Amino acid sequence: MLPAATASEPAVAVVQAVEQMVQAHSPTEVMTLLVMQLALIIIAARMGGFLFQRFLKLPGVLGELVAGMVIGPYALGSRIPLPGIGPLFETQTIGLPVSSELYAIATIASIILLFLSGLATDLRIFMRYSVVGFLVGIGGLIVSFVLGDFCAVLFGMAPSFMDPAALFLGTISTATSVGITARILTEKHKMSSPEGVTILAGAVIDDVLGIVVLAIVVGMTKVINAGGTMEWAHVGIVALKALGFWLVCTTLGLLLARQLTGVLKRFGSPEVIVSISLGLALMLAGLSEMAGLAMIIGAYIMGLSLSRTDVVQELQNSLQGVYDMLVPVFFCVMGMMVDFSAMRKALLFGLVYSLLAIAAKIIGCGLPAYLTKFNFRGSLRIGLGMLPRGEVALIVAGIGLSTHCIEQDLFGVAILMTMITTLMAPPLLVRSFRSPASGLRHDMQEEEGKEVVFSVDFLSPDIAEFLMQRLVRAFRREEFFVNRLQMETETYQVRKDDISFTLSCEGQQIGVSVPSDQQYVARLMIYEELLSLSDLLEASKNMKGLNEMGSELIGNLF
Amino acid sequence: MNLKKILTKDTILPKLKADTKQGVIEEMIGFLAAAGKFTGKTAAVQAVLAREEKMSTGMQNGIAIPHGKTDAVDQLVAAIGIHRTGVDFAAMDGKPSHIFILTLSPENRAGPHIQFLAEISKLLSRPELRAKLLNAATADEILNLLTAS
Repeated sequence: MLPAATASEPAVAVVQAVEQMVQAHSPTEVMTLLVMQLALIIIAARMGGFLFQRFLKLPGVLGELVAGMVIGPYALGSRIPLPGIGPLFETQTIGLPVSSELYAIATIASIILLFLSGLATDLRIFMRYSVVGFLVGIGGLIVSFVLGDFCAVLFGMAPSFMDPAALFLGTISTATSVGITARILTEKHKMSSPEGVTILAGAVIDDVLGIVVLAIVVGMTKVINAGGTMEWAHVGIVALKALGFWLVCTTLGLLLARQLTGVLKRFGSPEVIVSISLGLALMLAGLSEMAGLAMIIGAYIMGLSLSRTDVVQELQNSLQGVYDMLVPVFFCVMGMMVDFSAMRKALLFGLVYSLLAIAAKIIGCGLPAYLTKFNFRGSLRIGLGMLPRGEVALIVAGIGLSTHCIEQDLFGVAILMTMITTLMAPPLLVRSFRSPASGLRHDMQEEEGKEVVFSVDFLSPDIAEFLMQRLVRAFRREEFFVNRLQMETETYQVRKDDISFTLSCEGQQIGVSVPSDQQYVARLMIYEELLSLSDLLEASKNMKGLNEMGSELIGNLF
Repeated sequence: MNLKKILTKDTILPKLKADTKQGVIEEMIGFLAAAGKFTGKTAAVQAVLAREEKMSTGMQNGIAIPHGKTDAVDQLVAAIGIHRTGVDFAAMDGKPSHIFILTLSPENRAGPHIQFLAEISKLLSRPELRAKLLNAATADEILNLLTAS
């Protein structure tokens, strides 16, 4: 996507800048520069992510962001010369601080990210915990949006609540990134706790409604940027249009997804299914942009539509490699766009905005939790669990910057808020779970079963890992939804209707964390798989001798 | 999980007659076959006995959950049997088994098979329900006790 120049910029400057670009580089030079930039970005992002995860025990995304800040045009990037071409990263005179080619790659990465995010959305858990989860999700969303928008006006960053900058700061503050919380809860065996399940359900609502809010805000700002004014009646029309697009596409997607995958499956080739699905995600992303919304909205809708089909696992597995390569590039490019000098001016605002973003989730999510079934402790845990902002906040900030709705200073503020909330959440959440006391209100405690944690020791990591794979397959055969969580240890969330628990494999042990009334199915499944292991061992005894097999395999090689 | 979808009156034996492990399994599978739930009794008996050979499904507190995978059935089939005096099922706690839940599931078809056993086991962990089941005289009574919970 080419960054559009705003109508307010002097035309002369634009012409000069375009001339400068044309003169500066031939297509080959542009591509050479892009390849060199990508090389550094891919390596720096991966190393940044690795170092943060391994040594600081912090989410890799923060490392990728910091790597981007370090190698970006506002730091070291402008000082790395390429002979005959110029600096590796040069601050652009118009538009974004990175080249259009690089921004295009980051945009495709964000589409892949949101497509996969949609695929991973569990609509069933949303249905099951819809009441509390809905209230928690929507509470956090409304309070975050209002406080973000209000804060921008209060600090003079935007002239009115309806100004695009204020609207964007509100939107950036809404989207929770539940991955970090999920990792901590699983480590503490609290993923299946009432708080854990409510956070997961809340995050689904948060994701879905966050995208709807973004659709409305982008629609409104496009009208404003085109020179239109935003009367309240106008807001209603834009909101209806955005909601209409969302509702029509999502409903059609959910209704037709199974027929679509049914047709695709006739090709009998997983590659065809994956390629066509990705193609459709890109197409809907484009249509979404053409309809006056953001591209990621279309990508998310396509993912959400396919999330309930049986090809979801195939899509996730096949696209994981693309995700692993491209998404760190996206975060790194976002880091590269941080202009430290512009950010310094807005530092105080950034800190207040970040604090309000924290308060917004604790109050917005905690209060509905407190009013429904949790006590103060449980409500605080839920608020803290919903605290981290991540991918979507960064994507929204990127869209804001590329459409000139926010400038460098506020983009930096958005990055600062994302980093602060992501850094603050883990220690606070761990602290809140230190007490073993229940987070449920007294009268609700009897309804919920206590959490049971048990593990089976296999005396060998290889056997444990092997059995874990068989268990995952066995649960899927029992029609459970088994999703691997993004964690260092092999951990799966197992869900079906009102059953939800975690399975993890660490070293030679397989551990289970499950509400006591749901432990029967977990225990019986492991028991049956243990027996099938004994079948395998028995079968291996009937195999030919190792010597005989070995000599058949490599006997004639030498 | 809705147990009513799988359990029906004609799959419940309120008074098992056999006094041996193999006898109970054959009686329950024969009852299911007679109710028209499937054909291929011998294969089904063999599948359940093969599973018993690996490790007994006699649990604690008089409960046994014999089960097997066989292509004699094309969907999950289950029977409930009650034996007043108890049968030696080589149970984990060494006590005789009184309440039997037998399931047959297709070899290569996905479905909530173990989950069905787990749901029934969860119900039977309640001592008062076990006592009521042992005193129940008719299939209707047993079905009501299991599906009303």
